[in-house]
Amino acid sequence: MSESTSGTPEDGGYLTDMYVSRLRALTEVLESGDEAQIHELVAELTTLRESALYQELGKLTREIHDSINAFGNDERIAELATEAIPDAKERLNFIVTKTDEAAHRTMEQAEATMKLVDNFSARGRDMHERWARLRNRELSKEEFVELNNDIDGFLTSIDAETSQINSRMTDIMLAQDYQDITGQMIKQVVTMVKEIEEKLVRLVTISGTWSPEVELKEKVVNGEIAEGPQLPTADKEKVATSQGDVDDILASLGF
Amino acid sequence: MKILIVDDFSTMRRIIKNLLRDLGFNNTSEADDGQTALPMLKTGKFDFLVTDWNMPGMDGLSLLRAVRADANLSKMPVLMVTAEAKREQIVVAAEAGVNGYVVKPFTAITLKEKIDKIFERLQA
Repeated sequence: MSESTSGTPEDGGYLTDMYVSRLRALTEVLESGDEAQIHELVAELTTLRESALYQELGKLTREIHDSINAFGNDERIAELATEAIPDAKERLNFIVTKTDEAAHRTMEQAEATMKLVDNFSARGRDMHERWARLRNRELSKEEFVELNNDIDGFLTSIDAETSQINSRMTDIMLAQDYQDITGQMIKQVVTMVKEIEEKLVRLVTISGTWSPEVELKEKVVNGEIAEGPQLPTADKEKVATSQGDVDDILASLGF
Repeated sequence: MKILIVDDFSTMRRIIKNLLRDLGFNNTSEADDGQTALPMLKTGKFDFLVTDWNMPGMDGLSLLRAVRADANLSKMPVLMVTAEAKREQIVVAAEAGVNGYVVKPFTAITLKEKIDKIFERLQA
Protein backbone atom coordinates (compact mmCIF):
# COMPACT_ATOMS: atom_id res chain seq x y z
CA MET A 1 0.00 0.00 0.00
CA SER A 2 0.99 3.64 -0.35
CA GLU A 3 3.04 5.42 2.27
CA SER A 4 1.23 8.76 2.06
CA THR A 5 -2.13 9.28 3.76
CA SER A 6 -3.58 11.87 1.40
CA GLY A 7 -2.80 10.99 -2.15
CA THR A 8 -4.30 10.79 -5.59
CA PRO A 9 -7.25 8.56 -6.39
CA GLU A 10 -4.64 6.16 -7.80
CA ASP A 11 -3.19 5.10 -4.49
CA GLY A 12 -4.23 3.74 -1.13
CA GLY A 13 -3.77 7.03 0.76
CA TYR A 14 -6.74 8.50 -0.99
CA LEU A 15 -8.75 5.40 -0.14
CA THR A 16 -7.77 5.55 3.52
CA ASP A 17 -8.99 9.16 3.70
CA MET A 18 -12.26 8.17 2.08
CA TYR A 19 -12.71 5.31 4.59
CA VAL A 20 -11.99 7.62 7.53
CA SER A 21 -14.50 10.24 6.41
CA ARG A 22 -17.24 7.65 5.71
CA LEU A 23 -16.65 5.88 9.03
CA ARG A 24 -16.80 9.18 10.92
CA ALA A 25 -20.06 10.03 9.17
CA LEU A 26 -21.36 6.54 9.91
CA THR A 27 -20.73 6.84 13.68
CA GLU A 28 -22.57 10.13 13.71
CA VAL A 29 -25.48 8.80 11.71
CA LEU A 30 -25.67 5.63 13.82
CA GLU A 31 -26.27 7.76 16.90
CA SER A 32 -28.93 9.77 15.10
CA GLY A 33 -30.58 6.51 13.95
CA ASP A 34 -31.26 7.68 10.39
CA GLU A 35 -31.60 4.31 8.70
CA ALA A 36 -31.67 5.59 5.13
CA GLN A 37 -28.39 7.40 5.69
CA ILE A 38 -26.87 4.38 7.46
CA HIS A 39 -27.68 2.19 4.46
CA GLU A 40 -26.26 4.77 2.10
CA LEU A 41 -22.97 5.03 4.04
CA VAL A 42 -22.61 1.25 4.38
CA ALA A 43 -23.21 0.94 0.62
CA GLU A 44 -20.57 3.59 -0.02
CA LEU A 45 -18.10 1.73 2.23
CA THR A 46 -18.76 -1.51 0.36
CA THR A 47 -18.15 0.22 -2.97
CA LEU A 48 -14.94 1.71 -1.58
CA ARG A 49 -13.75 -1.72 -0.47
CA GLU A 50 -14.51 -3.22 -3.87
CA SER A 51 -12.75 -0.47 -5.74
CA ALA A 52 -9.64 -0.99 -3.57
CA LEU A 53 -9.73 -4.66 -4.42
CA TYR A 54 -10.13 -3.94 -8.12
CA GLN A 55 -7.25 -1.49 -8.02
CA GLU A 56 -4.96 -4.11 -6.49
CA LEU A 57 -6.18 -6.73 -8.91
CA GLY A 58 -5.62 -4.34 -11.81
CA LYS A 59 -2.10 -3.62 -10.67
CA LEU A 60 -1.31 -7.32 -10.32
CA THR A 61 -2.79 -8.13 -13.71
CA ARG A 62 -0.71 -5.41 -15.32
CA GLU A 63 2.46 -6.67 -13.64
CA ILE A 64 1.84 -10.25 -14.71
CA HIS A 65 0.93 -9.10 -18.20
CA ASP A 66 4.13 -7.06 -18.47
CA SER A 67 6.26 -9.90 -17.18
CA ILE A 68 4.71 -12.44 -19.50
CA ASN A 69 5.06 -10.03 -22.42
CA ALA A 70 8.71 -9.44 -21.60
CA PHE A 71 9.21 -13.18 -21.36
CA GLY A 72 7.35 -13.88 -24.60
CA ASN A 73 9.23 -11.16 -26.44
CA ASP A 74 12.54 -12.70 -25.39
CA GLU A 75 13.61 -14.03 -28.78
CA ARG A 76 16.31 -16.12 -27.20
CA ILE A 77 13.68 -18.40 -25.67
CA ALA A 78 12.17 -19.19 -29.05
CA GLU A 79 15.65 -19.79 -30.32
CA LEU A 80 16.43 -22.12 -27.44
CA ALA A 81 13.28 -24.13 -28.01
CA THR A 82 13.50 -24.41 -31.77
CA GLU A 83 17.24 -24.54 -32.32
CA ALA A 84 19.41 -24.93 -29.24
CA ILE A 85 17.57 -27.87 -27.65
CA PRO A 86 17.29 -29.95 -30.85
CA ASP A 87 20.94 -29.09 -31.49
CA ALA A 88 21.91 -30.26 -28.00
CA LYS A 89 20.01 -33.52 -28.49
CA GLU A 90 21.91 -34.10 -31.71
CA ARG A 91 25.21 -33.37 -29.99
CA LEU A 92 24.46 -35.74 -27.12
CA ASN A 93 23.49 -38.50 -29.54
CA PHE A 94 26.67 -37.85 -31.46
CA ILE A 95 28.64 -38.22 -28.21
CA VAL A 96 27.00 -41.59 -27.51
CA THR A 97 27.87 -42.79 -31.01
CA LYS A 98 31.40 -41.40 -30.90
CA THR A 99 32.25 -42.91 -27.50
CA ASP A 100 30.71 -46.22 -28.53
CA GLU A 101 32.83 -46.29 -31.68
CA ALA A 102 35.98 -45.38 -29.78
CA ALA A 103 35.36 -48.07 -27.15
CA HIS A 104 34.81 -50.76 -29.79
CA ARG A 105 37.82 -49.63 -31.85
CA THR A 106 40.00 -49.74 -28.74
CA MET A 107 38.74 -53.16 -27.69
CA GLU A 108 39.14 -54.56 -31.17
CA GLN A 109 42.80 -53.55 -31.23
CA ALA A 110 43.36 -54.73 -27.66
CA GLU A 111 41.76 -58.11 -28.42
CA ALA A 112 43.86 -58.53 -31.59
CA THR A 113 47.03 -57.57 -29.69
CA MET A 114 46.29 -60.02 -26.91
CA LYS A 115 45.83 -62.77 -29.47
CA LEU A 116 49.20 -61.86 -31.07
CA VAL A 117 50.96 -61.79 -27.71
CA ASP A 118 49.40 -65.10 -26.65
CA ASN A 119 50.52 -66.72 -29.89
CA PHE A 120 53.96 -65.19 -29.54
CA SER A 121 54.49 -66.41 -26.01
CA ALA A 122 53.13 -69.89 -26.82
CA ARG A 123 55.61 -70.25 -29.68
CA GLY A 124 58.43 -68.94 -27.49
CA ARG A 125 57.58 -71.36 -24.69
CA ASP A 126 57.46 -74.32 -27.06
CA MET A 127 60.86 -73.47 -28.59
CA HIS A 128 62.33 -72.86 -25.16
CA GLU A 129 61.33 -76.39 -24.11
CA ARG A 130 62.83 -77.92 -27.22
CA TRP A 131 65.92 -75.74 -26.76
CA ALA A 132 66.36 -77.16 -23.26
CA ARG A 133 66.05 -80.68 -24.64
CA LEU A 134 68.67 -79.83 -27.29
CA ARG A 135 71.08 -78.72 -24.57
CA ASN A 136 70.45 -82.01 -22.79
CA ARG A 137 71.21 -83.76 -26.07
CA GLU A 138 67.72 -85.24 -26.16
CA LEU A 139 66.78 -84.10 -29.68
CA SER A 140 66.96 -86.33 -32.74
CA LYS A 141 68.50 -84.98 -35.90
CA GLU A 142 65.06 -84.43 -37.46
CA GLU A 143 63.83 -82.64 -34.35
CA PHE A 144 66.92 -80.45 -34.39
CA VAL A 145 66.34 -79.45 -38.02
CA GLU A 146 62.72 -78.67 -37.18
CA LEU A 147 63.73 -76.55 -34.17
CA ASN A 148 66.31 -74.79 -36.28
CA ASN A 149 63.64 -73.87 -38.85
CA ASP A 150 61.18 -72.80 -36.18
CA ILE A 151 63.70 -70.53 -34.45
CA ASP A 152 64.60 -69.00 -37.80
CA GLY A 153 60.93 -68.37 -38.58
CA PHE A 154 60.33 -66.98 -35.10
CA LEU A 155 63.22 -64.53 -35.29
CA THR A 156 62.15 -63.44 -38.76
CA SER A 157 58.56 -62.87 -37.63
CA ILE A 158 59.55 -60.79 -34.56
CA ASP A 159 59.95 -57.62 -36.59
CA ALA A 160 56.63 -57.92 -38.45
CA GLU A 161 54.69 -58.94 -35.36
CA THR A 162 56.08 -56.28 -33.04
CA SER A 163 55.48 -53.61 -35.65
CA GLN A 164 51.90 -54.90 -35.90
CA ILE A 165 51.56 -54.62 -32.12
CA ASN A 166 53.02 -51.14 -32.33
CA SER A 167 50.56 -49.99 -34.98
CA ARG A 168 47.63 -51.44 -33.01
CA MET A 169 48.79 -49.58 -29.90
CA THR A 170 49.07 -46.36 -31.93
CA ASP A 171 45.51 -46.89 -33.15
CA ILE A 172 44.34 -47.36 -29.55
CA MET A 173 45.94 -44.02 -28.70
CA LEU A 174 44.35 -42.32 -31.70
CA ALA A 175 40.96 -43.75 -30.77
CA GLN A 176 41.11 -41.61 -27.62
CA ASP A 177 40.66 -38.45 -29.72
CA TYR A 178 36.93 -38.76 -29.01
CA GLN A 179 37.65 -37.15 -25.64
CA ASP A 180 38.65 -33.86 -27.28
CA ILE A 181 35.61 -33.62 -29.56
CA THR A 182 33.03 -34.94 -27.13
CA GLY A 183 34.51 -32.85 -24.32
CA GLN A 184 34.00 -29.68 -26.35
CA MET A 185 30.47 -30.71 -27.29
CA ILE A 186 29.55 -31.51 -23.70
CA LYS A 187 30.77 -28.06 -22.67
CA GLN A 188 28.54 -26.47 -25.32
CA VAL A 189 25.55 -28.40 -24.02
CA VAL A 190 26.37 -27.46 -20.42
CA THR A 191 26.42 -23.76 -21.39
CA MET A 192 23.02 -24.11 -23.03
CA VAL A 193 21.55 -25.98 -20.08
CA LYS A 194 22.78 -23.19 -17.80
CA GLU A 195 21.02 -20.61 -19.94
CA ILE A 196 17.78 -22.58 -19.92
CA GLU A 197 18.10 -22.94 -16.16
CA GLU A 198 18.26 -19.14 -15.76
CA LYS A 199 15.23 -18.63 -18.02
CA LEU A 200 13.25 -21.29 -16.20
CA VAL A 201 14.02 -19.79 -12.80
CA ARG A 202 12.73 -16.45 -14.15
CA LEU A 203 9.58 -18.04 -15.49
CA VAL A 204 8.90 -19.86 -12.24
CA THR A 205 9.51 -16.65 -10.29
CA ILE A 206 6.99 -14.78 -12.48
CA SER A 207 4.36 -17.44 -11.91
CA GLY A 208 5.09 -17.04 -8.20
CA THR A 209 4.91 -20.72 -7.37
CA TRP A 210 8.46 -21.00 -6.20
CA SER A 211 11.09 -18.94 -4.53
CA PRO A 212 14.67 -20.02 -3.83
CA GLU A 213 13.75 -20.37 -0.14
CA VAL A 214 11.16 -23.04 -0.81
CA GLU A 215 12.70 -26.43 -0.33
CA LEU A 216 11.69 -28.96 -2.91
CA LYS A 217 10.25 -32.14 -1.55
CA GLU A 218 12.79 -34.92 -1.39
CA LYS A 219 12.25 -37.64 -3.95
CA VAL A 220 10.82 -40.84 -2.63
CA VAL A 221 13.47 -43.54 -2.74
CA ASN A 222 12.56 -47.17 -2.44
CA GLY A 223 15.48 -48.76 -4.22
CA GLU A 224 13.24 -50.54 -6.72
CA ILE A 225 13.90 -48.31 -9.67
CA ALA A 226 17.12 -48.11 -11.64
CA GLU A 227 18.43 -44.57 -11.63
CA GLY A 228 21.72 -44.90 -13.43
CA PRO A 229 25.10 -43.75 -12.20
CA GLN A 230 25.40 -41.38 -9.24
CA LEU A 231 27.78 -38.44 -9.18
CA PRO A 232 31.00 -38.95 -7.22
CA THR A 233 29.83 -36.03 -5.08
CA ALA A 234 26.68 -37.92 -3.99
CA ASP A 235 25.72 -38.16 -0.30
CA LYS A 236 27.95 -40.88 1.13
CA GLU A 237 25.28 -41.89 3.65
CA LYS A 238 22.94 -42.90 0.86
CA VAL A 239 25.23 -43.90 -1.97
CA ALA A 240 28.04 -46.44 -2.18
CA THR A 241 30.98 -44.62 -3.74
CA SER A 242 33.22 -47.66 -4.06
CA GLN A 243 33.10 -51.43 -4.21
CA GLY A 244 34.27 -51.36 -0.58
CA ASP A 245 31.07 -49.51 0.40
CA VAL A 246 28.96 -52.05 -1.48
CA ASP A 247 30.74 -54.92 0.28
CA ASP A 248 30.16 -53.22 3.65
CA ILE A 249 26.44 -52.80 2.97
CA LEU A 250 26.15 -56.44 1.89
CA ALA A 251 28.18 -57.57 4.90
CA SER A 252 25.80 -55.65 7.19
CA LEU A 253 22.98 -57.71 5.64
CA GLY A 254 24.78 -60.94 6.48
CA PHE A 255 26.32 -61.59 3.05
CA MET B 1 30.64 -73.42 -17.29
CA LYS B 2 28.15 -71.58 -19.52
CA ILE B 3 27.62 -67.92 -18.68
CA LEU B 4 25.03 -65.40 -19.91
CA ILE B 5 26.07 -61.72 -19.94
CA VAL B 6 23.17 -59.25 -19.96
CA ASP B 7 23.80 -55.54 -20.55
CA ASP B 8 22.24 -53.03 -22.93
CA PHE B 9 25.63 -51.55 -23.85
CA SER B 10 27.60 -53.71 -26.26
CA THR B 11 30.90 -52.21 -25.04
CA MET B 12 30.20 -53.35 -21.48
CA ARG B 13 29.22 -56.84 -22.68
CA ARG B 14 32.47 -57.00 -24.62
CA ILE B 15 34.53 -55.92 -21.61
CA ILE B 16 32.88 -58.48 -19.32
CA LYS B 17 33.23 -61.18 -21.98
CA ASN B 18 36.97 -60.44 -22.31
CA LEU B 19 37.50 -60.41 -18.55
CA LEU B 20 35.64 -63.68 -18.18
CA ARG B 21 37.76 -65.22 -20.92
CA ASP B 22 40.87 -64.10 -19.07
CA LEU B 23 39.51 -65.89 -16.01
CA GLY B 24 39.15 -69.05 -18.08
CA PHE B 25 35.43 -68.85 -18.88
CA ASN B 26 35.22 -69.23 -22.64
CA ASN B 27 31.61 -70.29 -23.01
CA THR B 28 29.65 -67.04 -22.84
CA SER B 29 26.54 -65.71 -24.56
CA GLU B 30 25.10 -62.20 -24.60
CA ALA B 31 21.68 -60.55 -24.30
CA ASP B 32 20.80 -56.85 -24.29
CA ASP B 33 17.99 -56.90 -21.72
CA GLY B 34 15.91 -59.15 -19.46
CA GLN B 35 13.28 -59.83 -22.08
CA THR B 36 15.87 -61.33 -24.42
CA ALA B 37 17.75 -63.01 -21.59
CA LEU B 38 14.90 -64.88 -19.90
CA PRO B 39 13.97 -67.18 -22.81
CA MET B 40 17.70 -67.85 -23.36
CA LEU B 41 18.08 -68.81 -19.71
CA LYS B 42 15.03 -71.09 -19.88
CA THR B 43 16.33 -73.10 -22.82
CA GLY B 44 20.09 -72.51 -22.86
CA LYS B 45 21.30 -74.56 -19.87
CA PHE B 46 23.31 -71.69 -18.41
CA ASP B 47 25.23 -72.11 -15.16
CA PHE B 48 25.76 -68.49 -14.26
CA LEU B 49 24.13 -65.11 -14.96
CA VAL B 50 25.95 -61.77 -15.02
CA THR B 51 23.50 -58.90 -15.41
CA ASP B 52 23.30 -55.12 -15.46
CA TRP B 53 20.38 -53.47 -13.66
CA ASN B 54 19.35 -50.42 -15.72
CA MET B 55 18.17 -51.69 -19.09
CA PRO B 56 15.23 -50.90 -21.37
CA GLY B 57 12.50 -53.51 -21.63
CA MET B 58 13.05 -55.79 -18.63
CA ASP B 59 15.60 -54.48 -16.15
CA GLY B 60 18.08 -56.57 -14.19
CA LEU B 61 16.13 -56.56 -10.92
CA SER B 62 13.02 -57.91 -12.69
CA LEU B 63 15.19 -60.49 -14.44
CA LEU B 64 16.68 -61.56 -11.10
CA ARG B 65 13.18 -61.91 -9.61
CA ALA B 66 11.96 -63.84 -12.65
CA VAL B 67 14.92 -66.21 -12.31
CA ARG B 68 14.27 -66.75 -8.59
CA ALA B 69 10.57 -67.36 -9.31
CA ASP B 70 11.26 -70.00 -11.98
CA ALA B 71 11.49 -73.50 -10.51
CA ASN B 72 14.17 -74.58 -12.99
CA LEU B 73 16.30 -71.45 -12.67
CA SER B 74 15.79 -70.44 -9.05
CA LYS B 75 19.13 -71.87 -7.89
CA MET B 76 21.19 -70.13 -10.59
CA PRO B 77 23.94 -67.87 -9.20
CA VAL B 78 23.44 -64.26 -10.29
CA LEU B 79 26.09 -61.53 -10.25
CA MET B 80 24.87 -57.99 -10.71
CA VAL B 81 27.31 -55.62 -12.41
CA THR B 82 25.71 -52.20 -12.32
CA ALA B 83 26.12 -48.46 -11.88
CA GLU B 84 23.21 -48.45 -9.40
CA ALA B 85 24.92 -47.54 -6.15
CA LYS B 86 22.22 -46.32 -3.76
CA ARG B 87 22.14 -48.07 -0.43
CA GLU B 88 18.41 -48.86 -0.84
CA GLN B 89 19.06 -50.41 -4.23
CA ILE B 90 21.80 -52.68 -2.94
CA VAL B 91 19.49 -53.77 -0.12
CA VAL B 92 16.65 -54.47 -2.58
CA ALA B 93 18.94 -56.51 -4.83
CA ALA B 94 20.19 -58.49 -1.84
CA GLU B 95 16.63 -59.18 -0.72
CA ALA B 96 15.73 -60.28 -4.25
CA GLY B 97 18.43 -62.94 -3.91
CA VAL B 98 21.46 -61.64 -5.78
CA ASN B 99 24.66 -63.63 -5.14
CA GLY B 100 27.11 -60.82 -5.77
CA TYR B 101 27.01 -57.09 -6.50
CA VAL B 102 29.74 -55.29 -8.43
CA VAL B 103 29.41 -51.56 -8.87
CA LYS B 104 30.61 -49.87 -12.07
CA PRO B 105 33.27 -48.82 -12.81
CA PHE B 106 34.97 -52.01 -11.68
CA THR B 107 38.35 -53.69 -12.08
CA ALA B 108 39.26 -57.13 -13.38
CA ILE B 109 40.37 -58.06 -9.86
CA THR B 110 37.00 -57.11 -8.32
CA LEU B 111 35.12 -59.17 -10.90
CA LYS B 112 37.37 -62.17 -10.25
CA GLU B 113 37.04 -61.83 -6.46
CA LYS B 114 33.24 -61.73 -6.59
CA ILE B 115 32.97 -64.65 -9.00
CA ASP B 116 35.41 -66.71 -6.91
CA LYS B 117 33.45 -65.88 -3.78
CA ILE B 118 30.14 -66.91 -5.35
CA PHE B 119 31.48 -70.32 -6.38
CA GLU B 120 33.27 -70.79 -3.08
CA ARG B 121 29.99 -70.28 -1.26
CA LEU B 122 28.07 -72.53 -3.64
CA GLN B 123 30.53 -75.37 -3.08
CA ALA B 124 30.57 -74.90 0.70
